Amino acid sequence: MASIAGSALSFARPVKATSANSLSFSPARKGNAFLRMQPVPMRLAVSCAAQKDTVDKVCEIVRKQLALSDGTEVSGASKFAELGADSLDTVEIVMGLEEEFGISVEESSAQTIATVEDAAELIDKLVNEAK
Amino acid sequence: MRHRLLLRCAMPLPPPQPPPTPRTPGVAGGRLFASLPLPPPLQSRSEVHVWYLLPDELNDASQLKMYMELLSPSERKTALSMNGEKLQKGAVLSRALVRTTLSRYTECKIDPRSFEFKKNKFGKPEILWQSDDVRMECPLHFNISHTSCLIACGITMGTPIGIDIEEKKRKTAKSILSLARRYFTPPEVDYLAKIPDPEAQQKEFIKLWTLKEAYVKALGRGFSGAPFNKFSIMLAAKNGIRISVDSNSSCDSLSENWQFALAELNSSHYMAACIEDDSRTSGSGNGQLSLGLKVWKTIPFVEDTLVSGTEAVKLIC
Repeated sequence: MASIAGSALSFARPVKATSANSLSFSPARKGNAFLRMQPVPMRLAVSCAAQKDTVDKVCEIVRKQLALSDGTEVSGASKFAELGADSLDTVEIVMGLEEEFGISVEESSAQTIATVEDAAELIDKLVNEAK
Repeated sequence: MRHRLLLRCAMPLPPPQPPPTPRTPGVAGGRLFASLPLPPPLQSRSEVHVWYLLPDELNDASQLKMYMELLSPSERKTALSMNGEKLQKGAVLSRALVRTTLSRYTECKIDPRSFEFKKNKFGKPEILWQSDDVRMECPLHFNISHTSCLIACGITMGTPIGIDIEEKKRKTAKSILSLARRYFTPPEVDYLAKIPDPEAQQKEFIKLWTLKEAYVKALGRGFSGAPFNKFSIMLAAKNGIRISVDSNSSCDSLSENWQFALAELNSSHYMAACIEDDSRTSGSGNGQLSLGLKVWKTIPFVEDTLVSGTEAVKLIC
């Protein structure tokens, strides 16, 4: 499906291989060189439980809240912690999602959400329950 | 009073270390610290020591490499998985700050590299003490908080601690009152709603936010384990900072025997600290026992500056 291929392609971008001990902090480096040093998570290639539209909207809201540059990649697999979202960012993102989708998210659900994909799945679930 | 100790960077760096063997006193990390005077020990359970650093001041590549070498392999991996150089640097500095700070309070008997950590069921990091550790009788507790330009580590002896920092001028995307209505309690909303000046209102919101965060972090439950609308924090000049738990709340795990401090740090941040309040549980006091706060600005292995009592730390409550 085009949507899964779209997500998978974003991980296939070549990444500079750097060993863990030789991290350089020179300002000349672009931040994205350090992305995706781990292997691509296999589950993304196999299944995509949340709807693409939902994932895209979550990415948009997250991107806006964290004021991420266009060069920063945000996708289903993006972890909120790795994007630098602190607790105040997180609650604003949740509020933004509640407004966008007309749902109500309980604080305890926040514990189960690590990635954009997790958030999108929860949203789809709450949207369906509200129907 | 400003007390400044400068250790020249010309001091030789340690040779590259093999993978850390646990509990070897006097290895390079300890030796690097040995020339710096030890901080005054934590005298009582109501003392909180805070050490903070400013990431923007730390750009020396060899210095950062040295901090990197203090981290465990999994900490390194986590730091490198952060999105972008700035966040990665922040993650490395956070862990280096925790490890070097803890080491100071074991009189440098435990090398910064040697500490191991575990997470409680809500994800709060805690020290995993080995059975032969010197400090097991007086366990150290720590908590860390950071913004993009300041990282702080709070330390106590024998009492859980939560600290939270936030930029004073942090602008929220949502309006203050809409955030308060969604997440805070009615008394807190009323308190904020009564403030006519938007800037002052924003500042009070940030103060309440950091206090509430410090509390749930001290509890070890975090935001999702202790929802903000289940307890109220009240700021009153005379009575200091008070917490009250919603009596209708089904949250049995929220308690009120905690004490707080709120300070302005480095003129740029609010910092809230929360520790257990012994005096209330023992019935011997009325909760007025004040939290003793000492604050240092640090560049680990390089320079420590005691800043409490100066303009860098202004106690609010």
